[in-house]
Amino acid sequence: MPDVINMFFKWFWRFIARFKWEGIILLAYALATVVSISAAEAAEQAATDQVTARLIAETPAVHPGAAIYLGVQQIIIPHWHTYWVNPGDSGNATIIEWELPAGASASEILWPAPGRISMGPITNYGYENEVTLLSRIKVPENLRPGVDSFAVKAVVDWLVCEEECIPQQVSLDLALPVLLRYEVPREKNPLITEALARLPVASPWPVRAFVGTAGKFQLALETPEGALAQLADAWFYPFEWGHIRQSDPQALTLSTSGLELTLPAGEAPLGLGSQLAGVLVLTEEGGATRSFEVRPTLAATPMGGSGVPGLATALLLALAGGIILNLMPCVFPVLSLKALSLIGQSGQSQTSIRRHGLVYTLGVLASFGLLAVVLIVLKAGGAQIGWGFQFQSPLFVLLTAYLMFAVGLSLSGVFYFGGSVAGLGSGLANKSGYAGSFFTGVLATVVATPCTAPFMAAALGYALTQPPAQLLAVFLSLGLGLALPYLLLSWWPGSQRWLPRPGAWMDKLKQAMAFPMYAAAVWLIWVLARQAGADAAALALGGIVLIGFAAWLHSATRNSGASATRLGSVFAGLAVLLALGGGYSAVKLGVPAQTNAQASHNWQAFDNARLQVLLDEGKPVFLNFTAAWCISCLVNERVALSHARVVDAFAADDITYLKGDWTNRDPAITAFLASFGRSGVPLYLFYPAGKSSEPVQLPQILTPDIVLATVRAEKAQTPEPTSLSATAINGGRTP
Amino acid sequence: MAIKNLAKAFCAGVALTFAATAVVADPVVGQPAPVFTGKTAEGSNLNLEALRGRTVVLEWTNHECPYVVKHYEKSGNIPQLQKEAAEDGIVWLQVISSAPGKQGHVDGATALKLNEQRGAHPSGVILDSDGSIGKLYAAQTSPHLFIINAEGVLEYKGGIDSIKSPKEGDIPKATNYVREALDAIAEGKKVPHPSTAPYGCSIKYAS
Repeated sequence: MPDVINMFFKWFWRFIARFKWEGIILLAYALATVVSISAAEAAEQAATDQVTARLIAETPAVHPGAAIYLGVQQIIIPHWHTYWVNPGDSGNATIIEWELPAGASASEILWPAPGRISMGPITNYGYENEVTLLSRIKVPENLRPGVDSFAVKAVVDWLVCEEECIPQQVSLDLALPVLLRYEVPREKNPLITEALARLPVASPWPVRAFVGTAGKFQLALETPEGALAQLADAWFYPFEWGHIRQSDPQALTLSTSGLELTLPAGEAPLGLGSQLAGVLVLTEEGGATRSFEVRPTLAATPMGGSGVPGLATALLLALAGGIILNLMPCVFPVLSLKALSLIGQSGQSQTSIRRHGLVYTLGVLASFGLLAVVLIVLKAGGAQIGWGFQFQSPLFVLLTAYLMFAVGLSLSGVFYFGGSVAGLGSGLANKSGYAGSFFTGVLATVVATPCTAPFMAAALGYALTQPPAQLLAVFLSLGLGLALPYLLLSWWPGSQRWLPRPGAWMDKLKQAMAFPMYAAAVWLIWVLARQAGADAAALALGGIVLIGFAAWLHSATRNSGASATRLGSVFAGLAVLLALGGGYSAVKLGVPAQTNAQASHNWQAFDNARLQVLLDEGKPVFLNFTAAWCISCLVNERVALSHARVVDAFAADDITYLKGDWTNRDPAITAFLASFGRSGVPLYLFYPAGKSSEPVQLPQILTPDIVLATVRAEKAQTPEPTSLSATAINGGRTP
Repeated sequence: MAIKNLAKAFCAGVALTFAATAVVADPVVGQPAPVFTGKTAEGSNLNLEALRGRTVVLEWTNHECPYVVKHYEKSGNIPQLQKEAAEDGIVWLQVISSAPGKQGHVDGATALKLNEQRGAHPSGVILDSDGSIGKLYAAQTSPHLFIINAEGVLEYKGGIDSIKSPKEGDIPKATNYVREALDAIAEGKKVPHPSTAPYGCSIKYAS
């Protein structure tokens, strides 16, 4: 017997001796596993004296690469509360710090609608009894179903208060099994579904905000009649501190068209054009609540009937605007070219002429339609855009400059392209003539965009706030207005009798029309210089030389035999590519030109904060919103605003002249324009002297007399401010 | 005669009532700060106007609030500021507006002893148990700070720094608005952040 035992021990020691290190490691590992098993309990739930926190998942298992909701549920004992993202006058919002495996990501907390808890003069925003704070989590792609599990850890910090406050922190973790793609997870967690239902939604009805009098804001919700019949309470919870006085009551006015809340301004009040973002919570009798996330832009005046046109009015205004656009300096050369073509076609059949008219109209409508679609897509992407936005892109300006130059060359007779632009020259009766008409329509649209005509602004401002269908309709109406004069001319043979007889003078006129095109190219290069610097402009000019060379080369080799023609075309193509490449690099490397020193001008750059300060002081302010690519704006500036009499009047009346330059994208200016229902420049506003003065809008075509009349008239109406400095008894705000 | 006197007294009473309920506006940065007379922890009266000619810091505090503890015991942040202020001749006043029976309410002797224990050296402690000075300044949190310049104009109001958390580890990462404002006032420059969000526990007013 002892022999067996001896043998066993001998074998055992020999075993240990041979596998010494492996044995030690194995032993250590075994111990560690035991220890870790006992220590790492599933900590999905953690409790403090006041709050029980649980980490819950939408589904009990996940798919790789999927996105699920995880929630931190807080069950709070009675009379205590935790806080919303804006905790109110005191307190701290709950913070969740996620520890996720590589390839996973977590969104910001999705906050359910808060309630308010008041203690004397202090109001807090938060949650009582129970709340689940959701986050959208992306599961990594590389988890293996059945093998890996999705392990998340959350460190949650909150402040829980009754009257006294206690900051607390817990650690929660959760491990979810990973399913194969075809496996469907079982039912969703009802707590998560409930939490999702408590999230604020986008408002189904229009919401507007305006700056009222005496330091208050007004928030207006337009509802259909009867929607608010059961309303017991309405409250606006701003996302950020300081926008409103959080502990002051919000006066509620109900009417058949909706509700209005009066919000007193807080320590950091917003100015015109800023967004008043927050959650509007409506409580019905019986306790049901609806909450909307709203972000209205602060407008200066309540949008009454005068401000917002209906769709029919907008369509009419757009049509009128389009017709007038034909007379604007951008479009007139193109229109006159079309008129020339009409004269040239006087020998053609009426049907052919009518068809040309229709094709031209189609070209215009297609271009406006495309523009509308681009704007719709950009708006859907959330961009802050306005009319004429395409000219805020230096690349577009460059390409348009090249195009203007190329068209000018064609008119000068250097080369012919696509059967000639205006449908003149040979081949009128064939299809290529139609292509020319279509292209002319497109060209007319392209050059029309920097110009704004009267009536256009209101229609476009309305259109850009509307859903896609209405926006498209207004743009097409504008296009129709632009094409209408030529369409009418081509349709009625009688009108053509008014046009002069064709002759050699037509060629001379065509060559003369090249010069407005060259002038347009020059102006666009100047805009480019303003946007991207002198070096960019120089490169663009080089590109223009290359285009000229390409055009000459192409036409010089046209009749010299097949191989020469081909070679000529190839080199011409190369030159054009070089021009484009050079232009692109110019734009990318460009820096905007420095703004001129203020000493030499009587205006200062527009700044929302500066405007607010001036308005609070009751000083008269003249606002001019302009852009280098907006010809109407530049003309107005030269003719009216730089006129000696106007400059003197501004100086004499101590009017601060602020200029907003929208040549390049500027979201602050876009928002400010939007608050006046406008989406493009020019916009001229005059705030007369006096603390709560309403701004006066000037027309889009200015003369010195119009400006002086506005400035002087307002001066006559407002009384001189008193010279007493007001000091209230307790040193409070001046009344 | 008696009725006439009674009538006069009645009218006077009504007028006084209306005067007392005159709306008191919040203090505004750039305007003269509201003046008051408060009772100090040592038992004397302190008139704010008597401090004209020196920069005054008003610090609303509550020694049991975790946010105040963060800036006192856990980091020594506010005692350090108080020391710097004393060296520069700035008057630093703690104001305790907690109502009797509520968190943070202490009598004079306890307040002084607490400061000694925490190594804090304010120029004075004002006991505002009826909350009138707190409401005069619309103080909402502990800590909530106001800085008044030598001419009696309010230069700063708001929180102590830029990170609203109860963790002392966040103090070095935050911008200390009080130090920034005091430096600006000393150099005669404009205060960069004159009105910031105050954070902390709510002040325990009576109602």
